[in-house]
Amino acid sequence: MKKILLTLALAVLASTAFGQAKKPIIMIVPSDNFCFQHGYMNEFDNMGTTERIPDYDRALLEDSNLNLAIIKLGEMMTERGFPLKDLAASLRTLKTQSAQDAVRTSEDGYALAESPLDKLKKTANADIWMQLGYTINKTGPKQSLTFTLQGLDAYTNKQIAAASGTGPQTFTVEVPVLLEEAVISYIDGFNNQLQMHFDDLFTNGREVAMELRAWDNGEVNFFDEYNGEELGFLIEYWMDDNTVNGRYSTVASERNYIIFEQVRIPLENERGTPIDLRRWANNLRTYLNREYGISARLETIGLGKVIIIVGGK
Amino acid sequence: MRAKQILLLTALVLLPVLVSGQQLPKRHVKKANAQTAAWRYEVEPTDIATQGSVTVKVYSFSKKPQVAQEQARKNAVHGVIFKGVPAHGRVPGKKALVTDPTVHEVFFDTFFADGGDYGRFVTLTNSGAIAAGDVMRTSNKEYKVGVSATVAYDQLRSYLESHGVVRKLGAGF
Repeated sequence: MKKILLTLALAVLASTAFGQAKKPIIMIVPSDNFCFQHGYMNEFDNMGTTERIPDYDRALLEDSNLNLAIIKLGEMMTERGFPLKDLAASLRTLKTQSAQDAVRTSEDGYALAESPLDKLKKTANADIWMQLGYTINKTGPKQSLTFTLQGLDAYTNKQIAAASGTGPQTFTVEVPVLLEEAVISYIDGFNNQLQMHFDDLFTNGREVAMELRAWDNGEVNFFDEYNGEELGFLIEYWMDDNTVNGRYSTVASERNYIIFEQVRIPLENERGTPIDLRRWANNLRTYLNREYGISARLETIGLGKVIIIVGGK
Repeated sequence: MRAKQILLLTALVLLPVLVSGQQLPKRHVKKANAQTAAWRYEVEPTDIATQGSVTVKVYSFSKKPQVAQEQARKNAVHGVIFKGVPAHGRVPGKKALVTDPTVHEVFFDTFFADGGDYGRFVTLTNSGAIAAGDVMRTSNKEYKVGVSATVAYDQLRSYLESHGVVRKLGAGF
């Protein structure tokens, strides 16, 4: 009897622990336009070209109104049962981590291995970015506030939700109050669109992109035949079986590369465990190795793109 | 003589209490409920956004102005749930919380019954006092009465979420 109860309890626990897809991480950042307008940009020389990237750290330190808007948005999202990842805390963690990595050595005096690519990838990450911006408009003694909030899917860079508008003109109301009113006014509309995006994820899967390339060693290309079928077509058959409702577009299929876009991958595997793009694409890599003895390397680019290079690691 | 005066005075004091405590005519209330179900009311936002609530002016129709006034509470909640609140000037509107009233019909029959839970989420501004010009006679037999009401939007949505009528944001993750 005890054993049955224990088994039942474990089954319930497993279903609640694994029966849900990974909850997307959402983070609010000031929009690029806002950072540029207020001078919160870092400049660096990229092989002769001056590039600008937003300096979130400085924007958060120096702009009290921005902080207020981010905190208000965070508060309202938490009320809706969807707490956000805090940008300031994430930036602090990254700094602490870098400082610790810099002084960490092994007993033999070796430092941590880190390639330039590793450094580049260690940035604040989120599944959905909420880009916030506002402008104060002045007409004589009157002022109003224009507010923009844009939700971007980090996998596809597509806009999945947005809210924008200009509030009423006023003589007396302070900017923080105008900002608070704007957040309160627009957040419900924004969340409705966000919910529609989540519904689409559950119905049609997560949208990603995948590229297959061949090393320049001549070992494997996508026109090679296995049991009378070209490798490129065999990969497409695998895609048919492993995408949600077979939804993907083959943008290009050549001797040395295949490009898939608008690939809809399931949010969880057949065991009900949440999966991400890397784990999903790894199934193709192991399939190629198991069925056709093709060795391949898997590389991820951001959250939404993966490259599989066949013909070696 | 003195006893008569005391009785008269008592009657005068009690009269307004008895009148106000008197129930509204049932057939008019029934008709007002039918009009709510048939979407025959108007809702417009009257205030800038306040956190967690929405203030609206509700116009209800009835032969008896008191019935229309009382029905305003129900109509305000009904409107916020099923119709949404239209944009007003530069204040953006709110979408309806539920788009298909037939899906949870049994739940809403109980929710909107007289004395139902809807009353927990609405407050009439100034105890439902009607501003000058907000009572209009639309025909010989009907009045259109406008009353300001505040609906506790966030609490209402949480209540509907907890009863499975509205999905939580990110439900399923």
